[in-house]
Amino acid sequence: MRAQFRFRIRLVLAGIVLAACIVLVRLYFIQIVHGADYAEKADRQFASGSSGLFDRGNIYFTDKNGTNISAATLATGFLVAINPQTLQDPEAAYTAIAAVASSTVTHDSFIASAAKKSQVYVEVAHHVPDAQGQALAALDIPGVQVLRERWRYYPGGTLASQSIGIVSYGSGDSLIGQTGLEAQYDGTLSRSGDSLYKNFFAELFSNVGNLLVNAKDAREGDIVTTIEPEVQTRLDHDLAEVNKRYSSKESGGIIMDPSTGAIIAFGSYPTYDGNDLQSVNPKVLGNPFVESVHEFGSIMKPLTMTSGLDAGVITPETTYNDTGCITVSTRKICNWDHKARGVIPMQQIILQSLNVGASWVATQLGQEKFRGYFTTLFGQKTGIDLPYEGHALLSNLSTTQQVNFDNMSFGQGIAVTPIQMIRALGAIANGGVMVQPHLVSAIRLDSGIERSLDWSQKVPVFSAIAARETTQMMTALVDQKLENGKAIIPTMSVAAKTGTAQLTDGHGGYYDNRYFHSFVGFFPSYSPRFIILLYTNDPQNVEFASETLDSTFLDLVHFLIDYYQVPPDRGLSAQSGTASTTSL
Amino acid sequence: MHKFRFHIPFSPVSLAAGTVVVLAVVYIGMIAMVMSYAALTIEFTQSVKSDEASLAVLESQYLSGVAQIESVDYRTIGYAAPVAQIFVPAASMTALR
Repeated sequence: MRAQFRFRIRLVLAGIVLAACIVLVRLYFIQIVHGADYAEKADRQFASGSSGLFDRGNIYFTDKNGTNISAATLATGFLVAINPQTLQDPEAAYTAIAAVASSTVTHDSFIASAAKKSQVYVEVAHHVPDAQGQALAALDIPGVQVLRERWRYYPGGTLASQSIGIVSYGSGDSLIGQTGLEAQYDGTLSRSGDSLYKNFFAELFSNVGNLLVNAKDAREGDIVTTIEPEVQTRLDHDLAEVNKRYSSKESGGIIMDPSTGAIIAFGSYPTYDGNDLQSVNPKVLGNPFVESVHEFGSIMKPLTMTSGLDAGVITPETTYNDTGCITVSTRKICNWDHKARGVIPMQQIILQSLNVGASWVATQLGQEKFRGYFTTLFGQKTGIDLPYEGHALLSNLSTTQQVNFDNMSFGQGIAVTPIQMIRALGAIANGGVMVQPHLVSAIRLDSGIERSLDWSQKVPVFSAIAARETTQMMTALVDQKLENGKAIIPTMSVAAKTGTAQLTDGHGGYYDNRYFHSFVGFFPSYSPRFIILLYTNDPQNVEFASETLDSTFLDLVHFLIDYYQVPPDRGLSAQSGTASTTSL
Repeated sequence: MHKFRFHIPFSPVSLAAGTVVVLAVVYIGMIAMVMSYAALTIEFTQSVKSDEASLAVLESQYLSGVAQIESVDYRTIGYAAPVAQIFVPAASMTALR
């Protein structure tokens, strides 16, 4: 009797264990092996917005006090969908929906959607604000669903939009960063899409490791840029003014810290609003600072001059005989006004922007040394944290015709990206050392850790003495020549150079009356905090950059001095405690 | 020879049944706890996202305010540029104490 009872107990136990094993195996197959298929099937059956709620990390501007302000974030609201099979009164439903989303849904399109009786889910309005969405949901209209929705939102609108970039659908069905920082840091900003329903069984068996170390926490986060929103706003405003005033094809500007490579503002015109992608011209979606190359003209002369000084083939006191025009390899090279200056020192090449003088320095330098300096300056990409960075067009460096080197010495026949240009010119401001330009200073991980990025890679090009000697020439230009000497700031040394290049006609030659204007400057001259590069492409009815960009440059200089409270570096009384006055 | 027999005062079946009941209650309790935790997490996440969205609206207003200030020509609203700017050496921090 006892043995029989024991047998029955064991039989029941075996049955329970067997059933448990069957359930376990079944669960394993349902949730682990075929889990994705079932989830997809569920998504198809219940087209709920909640399961695919968009999530993405933020991009922040950093103001001068270190406060972060969103450049790209998420907006929360609702989408409105209808079920045409259960929608009883389309007109009444439209009236209610149009009251909260009049800008996104038209009467005709709504009625057409309501007529699709074979479908059970048609989205009719997106980006409905939170309050209006909740009000619509409270009406509880049969056949109308109000579902939670999140979308990418750029609080600054057009502000630094080409640097921030956009997200859109790529080849797949998920939103990914397509341009700018959105693309460059997509791995950090994108979220792995945890849905609202957790697969607890799968979590238990397959994600035990996450309990100890969560790989997502080490990857996903927000990014903090070096862009200062107020400076960016000022730059954008000034560039728009220039572009409109001269009907230019495009205008751009970069403000950078020459000692660190941190980009403080990165503006261009025309631009776009990332919140309104439907009306964007696709041509402006790219970033012209890294993707376009230009012949910058005479702002190349300071680099030629510094190369000559660094190589020791000239000194600031060296003189040459300026004849106004020279003929090299049957090609004629002339000064901008075709006038001869006679025997003059090197500084006049920068002050008067003399092409003949720059050619003379290039000749003294020799092709091999010239090639060496310019390959170091422009031969590599800058490594900026933006996608699709282009290469400079340096084919003339590979030739042996002296006329090509002469042309390059004053910025023709050599095309570089604006970011390469400011990096190279930054070497003059930074004691002869090129830095790595960058837009992002840190990544703020979801785990709470803020990881600073390393941008310390430096490339020495010139000696500090050569850089300083060129800086003195550029400072003299502002003090003596810019706006006929009226641009001088008695309490602040400012170094600058203008550039006017003829535009290529696409047939191997240049237009006689179409130009590319550029302007570079930095201040305080001998311990610069800011370097500014401006350009405007094909301005109408104006020939020289000193006419188009000098007022913009000076406006930015005065703005930055005031905004950052940059202390005077000259013009103060030697007697301590006495005040100094600057006429404005 | 005396054979030792281990004697328990209750039936093994009762023990197993009791254990099953306790485990079932614990299991259901854990499911309830995990579900509550998940629901709260979702609720808090949504709350944070909503707050971030509200913040974004304020940031947008701030940035458009900055843009508006930048676009205003102060001379058109009656202001004039100062004729001179005076730089005064900063007082030391210790002097302020």
